[in-house]
Amino acid sequence: MPSNEVIQGLGLDDYKFGFVTDSEPVFRTRPGLDADIVRQISGRKDEPAWMLARRLKALKIYESKPMPEWGGDLSELQETLDQTYFYVKPQEQMERSWDDVPENIKLTFERLGIPEAERKILAGVGAQYDSEMVYHSLKEEWEAKGVIFDSIEDGLKNHPELFRKYFGTVIPAADNKFAALNSAVWSGGSFVYIPPGVQLETPLQAYFRVNQERLGQFERTLIIADEGSRAHYIEGCTAPIYSTDSFHSGVIEIVVKKDAYFRYTTIQNWSNNMYNLVTQRALVHRGAHMEWLDGNLGSKLTMKYPSCYLMEEGAHGDILSIAYAGDGQHQDTGGKVIHVAPNTSSSIVSKSISKGTGRSSYRGLCKVYDGATNAKSNVECDALLINETSRTDTFPYIEIDERSASVGHEATVSKVGDEQLFYLMSRGMDEAEAMALIVRGFIEPIAKELPLEYAVELNRLIELEMEGSVG
Amino acid sequence: MNRLAAARRRAREAGAEEQGQIEGASPERATKNVARSSESTRVPEPDWLKSRRDAALELYRSMPLPSTRSEEWRYTDLARMLRLDDLVPSAGAQPGPASSNGDGTVPEPLRRAMAQDRDSAGRVIDIDGSAVSVELQDSLAAQGVVLSSLREAVRGGDPLLESLLATMAVPASDGKFAAMNAALWTDGVFLKIPRNVQLERPIRLSRWVSHPGTATFTRILIVAEDHSRVSFVDEILSPDFEAVTLVNTAVELFSHAGAQIQYVSLQRMGKGGFYLANQRTLAKRDSTLDTLNVALGGSVGRVDLNARLLGPGANSDMLGLYFGDHDQHFDFNTSQDHVAPNAHSDLLYKGALDDSARGVFRGVIRVHEGAQRTDAYQTNRNLLLSERAAATSLPNLEIEADDVRCSHGATVGQLDAESLFYLMSRGLDREQAERLVVLGFLGEVLDKLPMGGVVEKVTKAIEVKLGHVR
Repeated sequence: MPSNEVIQGLGLDDYKFGFVTDSEPVFRTRPGLDADIVRQISGRKDEPAWMLARRLKALKIYESKPMPEWGGDLSELQETLDQTYFYVKPQEQMERSWDDVPENIKLTFERLGIPEAERKILAGVGAQYDSEMVYHSLKEEWEAKGVIFDSIEDGLKNHPELFRKYFGTVIPAADNKFAALNSAVWSGGSFVYIPPGVQLETPLQAYFRVNQERLGQFERTLIIADEGSRAHYIEGCTAPIYSTDSFHSGVIEIVVKKDAYFRYTTIQNWSNNMYNLVTQRALVHRGAHMEWLDGNLGSKLTMKYPSCYLMEEGAHGDILSIAYAGDGQHQDTGGKVIHVAPNTSSSIVSKSISKGTGRSSYRGLCKVYDGATNAKSNVECDALLINETSRTDTFPYIEIDERSASVGHEATVSKVGDEQLFYLMSRGMDEAEAMALIVRGFIEPIAKELPLEYAVELNRLIELEMEGSVG
Repeated sequence: MNRLAAARRRAREAGAEEQGQIEGASPERATKNVARSSESTRVPEPDWLKSRRDAALELYRSMPLPSTRSEEWRYTDLARMLRLDDLVPSAGAQPGPASSNGDGTVPEPLRRAMAQDRDSAGRVIDIDGSAVSVELQDSLAAQGVVLSSLREAVRGGDPLLESLLATMAVPASDGKFAAMNAALWTDGVFLKIPRNVQLERPIRLSRWVSHPGTATFTRILIVAEDHSRVSFVDEILSPDFEAVTLVNTAVELFSHAGAQIQYVSLQRMGKGGFYLANQRTLAKRDSTLDTLNVALGGSVGRVDLNARLLGPGANSDMLGLYFGDHDQHFDFNTSQDHVAPNAHSDLLYKGALDDSARGVFRGVIRVHEGAQRTDAYQTNRNLLLSERAAATSLPNLEIEADDVRCSHGATVGQLDAESLFYLMSRGLDREQAERLVVLGFLGEVLDKLPMGGVVEKVTKAIEVKLGHVR
């Protein structure tokens, strides 16, 4: 049993990125939300009439749906929403090269610790500063291959037909209250199209950042991976600390067509006063393969369940989820796999760590419809508890209407074992090092799936947390 | 011969026609009947009970029928399955023979089921919600064991009843059906095992429901004092019914320090039976409180089982077994509440589902703050035997202590092709092989509860079902 000082000293709760850079928005709406604000957003973006109509319809749906009564505590959310700026526009123009990015924004990225190498080597860097892309570059060879990696606004402008064909088809506005909200006020996000047969070796990457007090960020991403294509998209988020609650509600729609492979990685590290309510869903077609890699480290409350709808024969879905809940945090995360077609398979692996008064909840669904013959699904959840006051829950839903389905779910809850600590310390480690090693080992199965620089970042984060525990 | 016709005939013989004459056609009216009869025709009830019934009735009326919008009833649509207004109270609401040798009144199927019981230390026979016979070995009575019908026990004035009946275990405030039972119960069993008395053989309750369209309300209260031991087998049978026939059972089990209780429920009602049970086990320090729920009969079965581990060293093994065919619907809602540290609970529910049967398992392990060094496990496994069968499993964990060992697992699958192939390569035909695999799958549950008689009886009943289906 580690001594109390060691536990308290783990320092997992000190938010590293709690700084504010001074940037003046070009335009922002007044706080709160009504049809007028929605019109302003649409007008600012110079949108076609059909999009404005959709936004207004979504607003009605949002207003008609009650707040969810399950999951995390949303009782103070309405107050937050009333003070939220639903649209903030930082700059007028898209930047074409890194040199043009304003210094203070660069500084923000620097302090976030995005490695220099990452900026140069990683091909497409779509960085989102506040609500819009401010920096966006794409390797020439990809352009030659016909890959589209645009801000969502440019996607709508430059590829109207493709955009309209898929937008809102994976996650309709009526799906849930926050999907409806996002559909009404979305701003920023990415539009990605990978043409048939195109394989991208280096990941597409967007860095998201919210930097305006009481700013709601409603990013919207639409990704189409056409037949036989192969790509990886990375989204990472960090945000400065503010005293009032903030709110983020994204919608990510992905279509993975026949025999394509797509991986979507999120590392969410919002500041600890953020509500993070996100809907992420992929439609997976014949023989295609979708992977969600979902890391939730920050925010006050996250409710996020990436899902794979396995629509056609042979589709496969993987969800890897890692959650860290420190003092006052609640990570209500997990995944959903819905088997609609025969010979589909899926796997969910979830690891969570709760420390202090943190609470991590796994919430998941495995549904096999009648006729989805030989569907296979496996779910594993492991929870690690650091303190007496830490809390963890597991809420899986398993609904099977097909005889030939094979479905398994396993979950374990444990604490860092005295024997483990004792053994490592007998080998010369101090308690903090031993703790860090055990925690790293615990998340290893997921960390090893991360691209190198993210794995490094995650490991560095954990080391930082454990550093504070010495003494 | 058609089963329904047989059922109708049996029901007629059992006096269903007179039943139709009973005044009152809904629980609302049934409540009035009970209230009236308890005041006039029936044995007068003590004031504490009257006011407890009144309060329960009030609660019952104030609570809506649970809908699928409520998480706990998400997969069992009562609005579609149960019309409370169509039910009439069972004959138990009327004064019946409080005790008798009963032989003349025991229906044949129940008599056959009783004949399969190898040994017992005592037995209560309950017909339509009224205990018609209570037997207990003289030697046990001499040691202070109390086995009586609940009505008799109330009349006898044991102070345990006032303190424990529908208070700490299954109070009316638990929900619509707990309130319904607390207001309307007609009879049941009270069993008390004094300190240090250990029963070698089980006490049995043999229940029968004869009338279609009735609602029967039964309560079981068992108190095992320090270091005592008892097993209790609660078996219920009925003919097939054309109309939905409700049985609402409340089971309250108290094991004091170092005591052991084993409670077994064998639900073997006929078609049309709607079996609802609220069971709660309260295990004190170093006591063992094990349960087994077997669901084979009825059209709908819903069991709410809450195990509370109240003292260090308490232990609860919770077993369940269900075999559904035709359009049977079984729903188990279990919870393991670890309130005290150093306690252990282990749940295993296994079910096979054929035809268009549906199985629902929702279980939660709750480790409360301060319940350190808890060991709690939960496993639910389902076998789907037909294209139309369906299983839903929701194994939940809610952990508020850090020094715990908890795990849960759930699986849904079909018959293992390799086992089948192996058996068939040894000369069995497909039907025989399937039967063996299903029995082996379910047998794991029975193996954990080596109670002579129960294992054989359940195995036989499953075999009959398997034979019937194929």
